[in-house]
Amino acid sequence: MAQVTAVEAQQWLVEKIAHRLGVAPGEVSPEVFFDELDLDSTEALILAGEMESWLGFELGTTTLWYHPTIKDLAAHIAEESSQRASA
Amino acid sequence: MHLVHPGALAAQVHRTLAEALPEGVGLTVLDLSALPEYWEAALTGGRAETTVEAIAERLAAELMGPQFALVGWSFGGVVAQAMIELLPAERRPERLVLLDSIAPTEEYQQPDEALEPPLLLNWFAMYLGAKRGRPVPLDPGALAGLGVDDGLPLVLDAATASGALLPDTPLPGLRKLYDTYVDGLLRNNRLTAPYRPKPSSVPLVLVKAERSLIPEDPTLGWQPLAPHGLSLAVAPGDHYTMLTRPDAAQAIARLVHPA
Repeated sequence: MAQVTAVEAQQWLVEKIAHRLGVAPGEVSPEVFFDELDLDSTEALILAGEMESWLGFELGTTTLWYHPTIKDLAAHIAEESSQRASA
Repeated sequence: MHLVHPGALAAQVHRTLAEALPEGVGLTVLDLSALPEYWEAALTGGRAETTVEAIAERLAAELMGPQFALVGWSFGGVVAQAMIELLPAERRPERLVLLDSIAPTEEYQQPDEALEPPLLLNWFAMYLGAKRGRPVPLDPGALAGLGVDDGLPLVLDAATASGALLPDTPLPGLRKLYDTYVDGLLRNNRLTAPYRPKPSSVPLVLVKAERSLIPEDPTLGWQPLAPHGLSLAVAPGDHYTMLTRPDAAQAIARLVHPA
């Protein structure tokens, strides 16, 4: 499993969310809270499933609660990915 | 009027019914999603650390006013029926209206394995169509004999063709949505399996959707729990869209508050 950096995770999230919202990636701020994005629960779960497939591991159900922005989540993913790569 | 809502769709879906009620009649939705021990089970493998009785007791405390009508949709009907039996006789509603609700009776108290993939995939397609406001039509029998891995791509194709999902929706993304949906159903199935309901103290009115979850059973198993009568009615739409279609809401409103 390849290790994912915070920059890569953030870029991936911004691109996917921009695509789902039909806007340019530059219009999606990494600082914005997920619940402020115009993603409904269906879109959010589909995105989560796509992300887990890309990462190769599942994220806990409380992850978005503790990491509620793209930037926070990307940092968490990088940390988790690093731990798994070195395990 | 109070309506017990088991989640799956946002509680706001009942706005259509609220608008169809006679003037002066308000609608209070008792949303099981507000109970963490129930809601979180759909995200953590479908095992809720609670019981039907405990949920009913919690919700019965929310019933306001000396007189009220009570309605339960889907698993909410099971909880609503349990709630009535917790109330003193003078506070019970005249009848309980069940919206496409499957009875917690022997016929439907089944192990998880009884919920086979073709049945679940068909329900999921129905749910997805309602959630996205675009029906997801599947050929009858297309899923027969298929497992999830073979059947879910057919749902994905139908959903993208109908516009319910974006054309490039990835299968792993849809799988996450499907797994969460199924965990919600399993949670309800596991809550129902050990539950031993009392027969209803009030008449029951079952409103089946035209496209019900179980089309072949006209009573959805409620007869043994209805010593004071079981009336049957049909509303347009499927298990989910019966909540948002104005014609279905009109029909349900007439049953809850007969003129």
